Amino acid sequence: MRKTTLAVLSIFVVVMLLQFACRKVDSLTPVDNPDSEWLSGGSQTAFDQGSGAFSHAFSSLPANLERIHEIGDAQFNATFVSAPAPLNPGLGPIFNNVSCGSCHVSDGRGKVPGLGESAANMLFRLSIPGEGEHGNPVPVPGYGDQLQTRALFGKQREGDVTITYTETGYKFADGTSYSLRAPTYTFNSLYMTMPGNVLLSPRVAAPVFGLGLLEAIDENTILTNADPDDKDGDGISGKANIVWDVYSQKKVLGRFGWKANQPNLLQQVAAAYNGDIGITTFLFPKESSEGQTQFDSAPNSKGYELSDSLLYSTHFYVRTLAVPVRRNVTDSKVVEGKALFTSAGCIKCHKADMRTGVDVTLPQVSNQLIHPYTDLLLHDMGTGLADNRPDFLAGGTEWRTAPLWGIGLTQKVNGHTNFLHDGRARNLMEAIMWHGGEALSAKNKVNNMSQKQRDALISFVESL
Amino acid sequence: MKTSKKTIALALPLMLAAFSCSKNNNDNNPTNNTLQAEVLANISNNVCTASYEDMYAKTQTLLASVQTLNTTTTDANLATARANWKAVRVTWEQSEAWLFGPVEADNIDPRIDTWPIDFNAFNNALTGTDELNDAFINKLDDAAKGFHPIEFLLWGQNGNKTAAQFTTREKQFLVALTQNLTALTKDVRDTWTNGYNKQLATAGSGSTEFSTQTLAFVQIADGMAGICDEVANGKMKEPFDAQDPGKEESPFAKNSTIDFTNNIQGILAIYQGRFATDGKGIEDIVRANNLSLDTEIKSKHAAAIAALQAIDKPFGEAILTEQSKVQNAMTKVNDLAETIDGKLKPYLQQYTK
Repeated sequence: MRKTTLAVLSIFVVVMLLQFACRKVDSLTPVDNPDSEWLSGGSQTAFDQGSGAFSHAFSSLPANLERIHEIGDAQFNATFVSAPAPLNPGLGPIFNNVSCGSCHVSDGRGKVPGLGESAANMLFRLSIPGEGEHGNPVPVPGYGDQLQTRALFGKQREGDVTITYTETGYKFADGTSYSLRAPTYTFNSLYMTMPGNVLLSPRVAAPVFGLGLLEAIDENTILTNADPDDKDGDGISGKANIVWDVYSQKKVLGRFGWKANQPNLLQQVAAAYNGDIGITTFLFPKESSEGQTQFDSAPNSKGYELSDSLLYSTHFYVRTLAVPVRRNVTDSKVVEGKALFTSAGCIKCHKADMRTGVDVTLPQVSNQLIHPYTDLLLHDMGTGLADNRPDFLAGGTEWRTAPLWGIGLTQKVNGHTNFLHDGRARNLMEAIMWHGGEALSAKNKVNNMSQKQRDALISFVESL
Repeated sequence: MKTSKKTIALALPLMLAAFSCSKNNNDNNPTNNTLQAEVLANISNNVCTASYEDMYAKTQTLLASVQTLNTTTTDANLATARANWKAVRVTWEQSEAWLFGPVEADNIDPRIDTWPIDFNAFNNALTGTDELNDAFINKLDDAAKGFHPIEFLLWGQNGNKTAAQFTTREKQFLVALTQNLTALTKDVRDTWTNGYNKQLATAGSGSTEFSTQTLAFVQIADGMAGICDEVANGKMKEPFDAQDPGKEESPFAKNSTIDFTNNIQGILAIYQGRFATDGKGIEDIVRANNLSLDTEIKSKHAAAIAALQAIDKPFGEAILTEQSKVQNAMTKVNDLAETIDGKLKPYLQQYTK
């Protein structure tokens, strides 16, 4: 299924010209390229709106890099088992899941557990108040910074969390009812005493496509949008998280994760291997259970479990997953929805246009006009959504603007529409109505919209 | 879990271009919505749903035979159980050619078909004293249950286990694992019969999953190309490139090549709309306008099957001693994918609504 890249590109160019040629002149709006809006991931946009929409490699990878992507794909979906084993050993001793792909199902969004089910596609960050030596959250004695809900045979899992929801009814200004469910989290089956002042933050497995493009955005481009003290007085701050880079041993800009607490993809991937699966790597050579009763120090000649080349292949895999193309961009309802999205002010944080920096080492991500609908910055989202657990500079009410690209395909790819960091929203409108803090004014504008306008707004978001 | 990763539909941009120039370019073509609806209904009910019905029925047969093996442990009963395991595999592997919808979204695949086996967890369960009941199996990790642990119990490490070698505990474990597999295949069946079959059948006319018929057809074509990719560039290529029989799936029953063949066989089933019964399939839409594409798909499919069947040693050996045959099979499967992806999919995008 190898494609000749040149052919694709040339067809593309021809097509662009064709489209350009037959458009009515008066319908042209003053933008550089009328087709760019369709191409959420710039030249790395995948033309698939089916259940595999999040799983496409960049289109223009040379064969050798395509092979690395394939190896990374296999690695991303490889099931780890307990050591010793001939294939994929090293699981645990405590863990949340057995492979990357079993949380990030089809490279997409995790589903929240149903009543009575254990959390399989989400995890719980833990800490106690204070700041660690790098400004990091302080790990909980005996638990670390994450609750591992599973363990190998003969080992104790750390515990589990029961989720219950409280429904509250609300009305839009036009009188239409809606309901929001607020989650409550209760520990159960804890293997040892949990401190009373523990801070807990639920995190659903996030989609993993397009991350190489987000990583390619220049730091300065992101910081240009930052306005931590709201000097322009528009009610929107936008704060950069500054986090610890384990490799360079420096404080750098955070980009990834619900609170932008990871500086780069490699660290994100290695941290997930370590915390979620119990696989050690050169970046995180210590088991998450070290110092706890589950830990058994079988000395490993290599010092860690996953070879550098396999770690890099997984890293390359997520770095080179393309972004799905938009649908129905020119549909009148979608066009109206976009105007409403803009006028309500959503666009101030969910930024439509970003340009990646120049990267000669991976030209595929270099200098691309992309449409991630995020500014990658932290914003106060109000007390309703707060986890009250600071994470580096991210405060208890602050979250990173979530990218919206591809969000309309969640149902198709993952079979659900649970959104926000803990999946509490059961559809896009609920997710919007949970917004508060800096987004309160935008939310109020949505509240005052007519049913037709709200439908248009949702149609727009679903077209992303 | 792999889908067709590198599929860049040449067609979609072309479609965009076409749409931007004319209101509707479908008015002039002879295939019609009625035929398309018929094809989708047949594929949904008589291919996809029927396959999951069939898998559930065959798993029940497997369960009955391992229960018999448990009470009357003879080589003859062992042979029956093995044959029944292989029969379930035939249906399951074929159904991987339409691995979309709930099977994928609900993550059912890893719960019944995880490889490798976690032998430490497996052995702990086997040597433990817990009662081997539903609750116990449910608590086991995916890597200690499903098809392959059952396969291991039936065949043994070297594929030559005899009835006399079974311990009581092994037999109990086998029954419990098969009960669990039966429950999961029932879940798969139910997700289709309880609604997803209608979603697919009513694409473009009320389906919330598929707002147009074209989307459903593209999904089907992606499933067909996706299994080619999985077979040629995953299941076969990984053990082959690594020259490592340890990476082979279904090694105990020496069933891997049969698995691959059935994966590819499933493509023809959905293309022709023929599983247990013969009905309208994608071929009817293709044949309406492009007989040569129909011929190309069928001949490439036949070539892929023939190349797979030419591998006569068990796959774990073949990667070491029949390399040109293995390489040829991967090439032929990739050729088929190329046609599905590069010609069939654009055709469906052009000729369906």
